[in-house]
Amino acid sequence: MTTSAIDPIKLEVIRNALTQAAEEMAIALRRSAYSTNVKTRQDFSCAFFDKYLRSVAQAFTQPVHLGSFVRHVPVAVKRYGPENLGPGDMILSNDPYGGGVHLNDISLIAPVFYQDQLVGYTACLAHHVDVGGGAPASVGAFREVFQEGIIIPPIKFVVNGELDDDLFRLVLSQIRSKRETAGDFRAQIASNRTGAIRISEIIDKYGIEEFDQYIDEIIEYTDRRTRAEVAKLPKGVFKAEGFVDNDGFTDDVVKLVVKVTIDDDGVRFDTAGSDPQRRAPVNSTFAQTFSACAYALRALMDRDLPVNDGFYRYVHVDAPKGTVTNCVHPAPVVGGWETHVRLNDLIFEALAPALPDAVCAGTKSMQCHSGFGGENHETGEYYCFLETIAGGYGARSTSDGPDAVQSHGQNTENAPVEETESNYPVRITRYELVTDSEGPGEFRGGLGLRRDYMFPDEATFTILADRDKFGPRGLFGGEHGGKSVYALIKDGNEEHLSSKTTVQLQPGDVISYRTSGGGGYGEPFKRDPKAILDDVLQGKISVDRARDRYGVDIDISKQQVNEQTTKELRNGKQR
Amino acid sequence: MTANSEGRYRIGVDIGGTFTDGTLVNSNSGRVTTSKVLSTPYDPASGFISAVQKLLDLDDSVKPEAVEHVVHATTVATNAIIEGKTAKTAFVTTEGFRDMLEIARQIRPSLYDLQFEKPAPLVPRQLCFEVPERLDAKGQVVTPLDEAALDEVVDRIAESGVEAVAVCLLHSYRNGDHEQRIGKAIAAKLPNVIISLSSEVVPEFREYLRASTTVINSSVAPIVRTYLASISKKLHALNITSELLVMQSSGGVYPAAAASENPVFMVESGPAAGAVAAASLGTALGYPNVISFDMGGTTAKASLIRNGQPNITKDYSVGGAAQNGTGAFGGASGYPIRTPVVDLVEIGAGGGSIAWVDSGGALRVGPQSAGADPGPVCYGLGGEQPTITDANLVLGRLDPAYFAGGEMSLNLDAAREAIRTQCAEPLGLSVEEAAHGIVEIANTAMVNALRLVSVQRGHDPRDFMLVGFGGAGPAHAVRLAEQAGIPRVLIPQGPGTASALGLLVTDVRMEGSSTLIIRSDEIEHSRIASEFDRLEAAGREAHSVAASASGTPLFERTIEMRYWGQSFELSVPAPSSSTIDQAWMNELTESFHDAHEMAYGFRAKDEPVELVNLRLTTIGKIVRPQMQKLKNIGTDVFVAFKGERPVYFAENSGEKGVVQTPVYDRSKLPAGAVFEGPAIIEEPDCTTVIHPAWTVTVDEFGNLEIEINS
Repeated sequence: MTTSAIDPIKLEVIRNALTQAAEEMAIALRRSAYSTNVKTRQDFSCAFFDKYLRSVAQAFTQPVHLGSFVRHVPVAVKRYGPENLGPGDMILSNDPYGGGVHLNDISLIAPVFYQDQLVGYTACLAHHVDVGGGAPASVGAFREVFQEGIIIPPIKFVVNGELDDDLFRLVLSQIRSKRETAGDFRAQIASNRTGAIRISEIIDKYGIEEFDQYIDEIIEYTDRRTRAEVAKLPKGVFKAEGFVDNDGFTDDVVKLVVKVTIDDDGVRFDTAGSDPQRRAPVNSTFAQTFSACAYALRALMDRDLPVNDGFYRYVHVDAPKGTVTNCVHPAPVVGGWETHVRLNDLIFEALAPALPDAVCAGTKSMQCHSGFGGENHETGEYYCFLETIAGGYGARSTSDGPDAVQSHGQNTENAPVEETESNYPVRITRYELVTDSEGPGEFRGGLGLRRDYMFPDEATFTILADRDKFGPRGLFGGEHGGKSVYALIKDGNEEHLSSKTTVQLQPGDVISYRTSGGGGYGEPFKRDPKAILDDVLQGKISVDRARDRYGVDIDISKQQVNEQTTKELRNGKQR
Repeated sequence: MTANSEGRYRIGVDIGGTFTDGTLVNSNSGRVTTSKVLSTPYDPASGFISAVQKLLDLDDSVKPEAVEHVVHATTVATNAIIEGKTAKTAFVTTEGFRDMLEIARQIRPSLYDLQFEKPAPLVPRQLCFEVPERLDAKGQVVTPLDEAALDEVVDRIAESGVEAVAVCLLHSYRNGDHEQRIGKAIAAKLPNVIISLSSEVVPEFREYLRASTTVINSSVAPIVRTYLASISKKLHALNITSELLVMQSSGGVYPAAAASENPVFMVESGPAAGAVAAASLGTALGYPNVISFDMGGTTAKASLIRNGQPNITKDYSVGGAAQNGTGAFGGASGYPIRTPVVDLVEIGAGGGSIAWVDSGGALRVGPQSAGADPGPVCYGLGGEQPTITDANLVLGRLDPAYFAGGEMSLNLDAAREAIRTQCAEPLGLSVEEAAHGIVEIANTAMVNALRLVSVQRGHDPRDFMLVGFGGAGPAHAVRLAEQAGIPRVLIPQGPGTASALGLLVTDVRMEGSSTLIIRSDEIEHSRIASEFDRLEAAGREAHSVAASASGTPLFERTIEMRYWGQSFELSVPAPSSSTIDQAWMNELTESFHDAHEMAYGFRAKDEPVELVNLRLTTIGKIVRPQMQKLKNIGTDVFVAFKGERPVYFAENSGEKGVVQTPVYDRSKLPAGAVFEGPAIIEEPDCTTVIHPAWTVTVDEFGNLEIEINS
């Protein structure tokens, strides 16, 4: 059979239509979901894969998922056997050792058939607020993956269009937040159904043969553009080392090493030298490490580049087995994203000398989970709540790091205070920027964020975060951002907690998060005094810190910079 | 025309980026007069008055005192936000939450961009103040309002010299008492400062969205108030003393006094007019379900109209990137508002959008636009990059000698050359193929916009008619319909100025809402009845100002509902029965299940249903101008025949190439004429392209109804 030449116009039309299909999957999922984590915070992702399980189109949601998805979906389908899937079937999977990530991220994958012919797969992943295990919201420090919740190998969850009720009940019986989670599963089904309808409509128009032909071309087109982008990158070997601050059981730092090699063949990420895996929650699966590298590479390329198999094939990752960057069974994995996102910081730090204008200084670079649950006295249900808290962003070569945003592959929204208090027995008592938490620099890092939770009833609370030992690193003379603080406030007395711990709370107890600020860029004494004045007037930086760290003397009563003393301070420091 | 001296008149004024359009309608005869003057961005009121003056000059039989009302669409509020020229404003909130506006939603507006910026808050941090007080999620007082602390805050606000204050306290959508007391305390000390309370502006939960809406309201209020006062004064000077009405973002109009008080309802005043025009036209012709498509020089706007009403959304950001898909990250690039906005998708595809070939060898169109300066290559004003207009010219769809009714001639050779060197040769295509590609790629983006407003909201485009207008709309509408699966297209009479006419067919509309957030099996039916009664009384009161223009008010009741646990509501019309009892509730929940199944493909029969907001719309019906029938009736289209020219229509014929195509003068087409495509229909400010396999019928009013051949 001869294939006709590619029509560049049709290529653009079909590419847009496929992306639109994935976007519509995301809308259906978000709008019909129940948990705050999915419906409001958008902790989910949707994508379309072709019949060869190559990634073709994605909705723009969470890069962390998208990068790991491309590993997990093919593995799950092959394990189940594509020959065992028919129209209307969907398989469920969250197995970290079957190409997956942490257990909360459950994928639902559906083959798409057109007139009984397999044409591809739609898949959606949602971070479920609870999957059972040792603590509410299924976050916490455990020794083995078995303690982290229900492990679901690829199983047929929807059979010929009907949800398997036995399996549904079995899964739900492991889970605390049954009503919400059931609603989120239904939303995932709605998402895949929406995707299948849209894909069929595209094939109605072009026929299967042309559909397949253009998918090949979409991937090849992306390949060509990625190759052109890779060619623009500086060649060489770039290296950085860093840490996750502790593992949740010991106070020992978890060492991470990244070597990035850029040559004519592409970009290779090597994590050799990173610590052996721990019997603690900081282990990253290969899919998670891959996702970090894919994000970093994508962030260095044209903003308009499509992300599909034609791009991912340029991401080469060597992560030695048995390390925290590619853990093996049965290591616990719930905090693997902490390691994943720290790798991002290290990759950008490694590349900074070669690409000083493209990268940013150290960012929050932790997921910073806050998970809690208990009995809701009003409804009699077991409730679970999960969110992640933003922090300061790293400064760039020509601009400050923004205050209080998510970093790298994570871009989940905050849970509105009013929505949270309406649905869960908790009161948020404080939500504000942390003054003086920025990493000083010619361009300063962003400020961290404080969020305090007060519990009127007993509850179990888990912090799964990091950055309480080292703040995000500065670049080129910029200083570290402020460290995080996690505290329990009981009867007005404040006690600092570990960054990875579960605590039982009594009525009236308060848990307080104060997240890290971003790293600075360039020497603080070069910062424009007018920018410091503005920071001080806004109350983001104190008068003392302006003087001590930036050498700028602010006369607060006159609301101006004292030029003379500033000059003296800065000259004194420079000598 | 002396008979009209006894007539009564209405005036609409629409201020656009380049031109200010005025429309005058004789209420008795339906006769329409239009005017066009250059916009005056430094002082929009002066362009406004020039347009009105010109209308009066054009028809000297019009007595200013016979003008019943003046309707205005303006971008003055949006521009203030986009250009960072809002009034100096303070923000007051609950202790512990001063940074609500700084933190926003804690997300980045784009996923892979390390150099992104968060939009700067409209209120700087030093003007954000906290007051000790706290309500719980049920609206009960947890911490009483600290009056002494409030007094200090009021003093500090007084020292700061702000023009406006926005107040948003946690859970005030449940209980506005603390906000009221704060508002009174500020007003007592600062009588000239504008105060907006979130519990009055938009009493709905999710604090950041409510705060953002309230801040926008207060920070544009001083500007809007001054602007509208200046217009009123100038109208008075012309002896036009009737009510000034303002177009809202949601498509209704409201009195200038209400607009000065609550300007956040009119931030998207301009684009709404086109959707309203399409809705009105469709309804008048017996087509209540249409998709409005308005394409100008730099952007195209699409919106969906069902049962004669534009679809309304509350998921909108001012100054944000085009809303696409989940909208979430696009939203993070602007300032969200939770007031109703006509659900329109605006994309950067207009006659001036530039075509280019990217590094991967794909042909792309936009988002860069040549605008009016330098403009398309064919204008010969210095434009060097090929645009959609150049492509349409190369394809023979535009006549180089009859652009702007012959006032301007286009340089076809220059357009061909630009497309040949910049698109055709790099791609190995012929010039015609490349030009066709440019048009088709732009069409793809526009088809996506049509899908966003239809399919994505659960509506089948096959059930709609596409109404195409704006300067470039009629050249693309038929092909878009073909690609989006829309079987019928309507090109109205006067498509170039259809939006301005939209202002004069708009009813007075005012929204009131009441938050319930309660399960259907837990609410007392009498509470729903009493809340609706309260909203109706308030609506009646607000409407009384505009009563002279619109007579007795009507009321529409809707309920925003969801499954208990979801966060996104679907709007369901209240059952028609006047008694609110169990049967009413059953009918309502059944309608909700249906709506949910339509939107998301499933119903959860056994799940509890929650009533989130009661919404009451007060409507003052405005008498619409009568469309005038064509005097010229007949079936002979040759009276309008101007000649033939070769036009490229590759997509339908299958054979790549050119079709010899008849060209008609629209002003000479008789009512009742029927003819088949391909055809080109020309009028001074617009060209309508009829593709092969479509049939045109000229209706009795001169509108073109175009249908795909079965």
